Amino acid sequence: MKLRTFFDRLIVLLLVIVGWELCSLYFGTIWFSSPWRVLRRLIEEIQNGDLFYQGAYTLKAALYGSLLGGVPGLLLPFALRRHPLTNAILDPYFIGGYGVPKLALAPLFILWFGIDLAPKVALVASIVSFLVFFSTAAGVSAVNSQYVNAARVFGASERDIARHIVWPGAIPYAFAGFRIAAPYAIGAAVVGELISSNRGLGFLIVSGATDFDTTLVFVSLVTLTILVVIINLLVGRCERWLLRWRPPQQGPSLRVAGI
Amino acid sequence: MTSALPMLQVRRLAKRFPPRAGAESPWILADLSFHVCEREFLTMVGPSGAGKSTLLNIIAQVDGASDGEILFRGEAIGSANGRTLNPGWDCQIGYVTQDDNLLPWRTLIDNVTLPLKLQGRYDEAAKKRVVELFCATNLTGFERYYPHELSGGMRKRGSLIRTLAYDPPIILMDEPFSAVDAQTRTQLQQDLLRLWNLGRKTIVFVTHDIAEAIALGDRVLVLSKSPAKVIADHRIDISRPRDLGNVYKLEGFGDIFERVRRDIQ
Repeated sequence: MKLRTFFDRLIVLLLVIVGWELCSLYFGTIWFSSPWRVLRRLIEEIQNGDLFYQGAYTLKAALYGSLLGGVPGLLLPFALRRHPLTNAILDPYFIGGYGVPKLALAPLFILWFGIDLAPKVALVASIVSFLVFFSTAAGVSAVNSQYVNAARVFGASERDIARHIVWPGAIPYAFAGFRIAAPYAIGAAVVGELISSNRGLGFLIVSGATDFDTTLVFVSLVTLTILVVIINLLVGRCERWLLRWRPPQQGPSLRVAGI
Repeated sequence: MTSALPMLQVRRLAKRFPPRAGAESPWILADLSFHVCEREFLTMVGPSGAGKSTLLNIIAQVDGASDGEILFRGEAIGSANGRTLNPGWDCQIGYVTQDDNLLPWRTLIDNVTLPLKLQGRYDEAAKKRVVELFCATNLTGFERYYPHELSGGMRKRGSLIRTLAYDPPIILMDEPFSAVDAQTRTQLQQDLLRLWNLGRKTIVFVTHDIAEAIALGDRVLVLSKSPAKVIADHRIDISRPRDLGNVYKLEGFGDIFERVRRDIQ
């Protein structure tokens, strides 16, 4: 990144903070808290360990849910590749399932799984699975048929083709799916906590709001933002390493959440 | 040392694609017959869009014929009887396509050795052979490069030695040098002839470039416009090894070039 860009970004950040400060001066800190209060409270909450305790819970729900939904979402397109008829039959149901507003399922999951980690994991999984599935399926169907023909000629079996051609070709698409899904995963975990929980950053937001403790609400929001940014950064790193064969600036590189 | 039986015989081959929107598709190939002998370098030249790639796809069994038959060492390998295709006929028929088709996620060496690994034949002898092929094509030192890091000419040579490395008895080549600049092309042709001289494989080389067909081949077949059939068969008596930098000065070149050009028109 150019130094100039860096400084310009810093200026934007300063403007946001100044705007925030002005809001809290005009409307009162009871509604907007203030950047300075939030920073102090953030450090305090980090020092007493509470932020890690709550953050870890939310992160755990997001991570377990991403695995529970992401792994089947990743593998199913490969299984369906060899069964076009099954795929054609199920296709409208996948699209229908994708269309269901998942957050509306939260009360149902709470009814089924209680108020512990399980309903949040289920909620995250229901969102991540579809995002990863559709993205990976696009990658599987975009397989270069010339590579497949060439491989058949030099003796590749169907399994070889799946392993050496379809799989590596679909990986960039799967990554795009995971990158899009990451903020949704955190978001779904938080929504699960908003509805019913006694732990997690979502719980922190609710308890802050009910106590008129807006500083705590903003501390939670800032923490969530930082979490999503870090996750995106990690996924991006992982992607760059795994896809080092790719020429720069090619393929589906979806830039989400400001990374 | 040529056996009496031709290595590959194509008999009365015909092809058209399935009807499109209710209307019959035109014939791409019609009544096309030829043969290739063991260790022969056969070139085919024809106008663009004559169905040359379709012909090679059918021989390689990537695509099926509508009529006619193909015999490999006397055994029928492809005909229009609707059998399932066996691409490459159990690795007996190699196919170097117009695009290099190197897998972008594998390094050059991993691309070249992939057929050997899949066939379970990547032993010490094969390793040695691959090293020799890299050396013969000036690719030594680029083994660990990914395809996008290589020049077009290098990728072509990579795709060529990928097929040579697993040593199929017959190799089909579909305008493999069409997408590179003239200088690189001459170099690639020279490389190909040198490799062919080392191993003397049977090659069917398709091109739309008359000079290339004459410079490389033992025999040049001329294909007609679509629907394609063989309209002329010229034996090229230019002695080997041939210096491709000066092929136009070789004795008999101008004469044969003129005859092929007239056939095509």
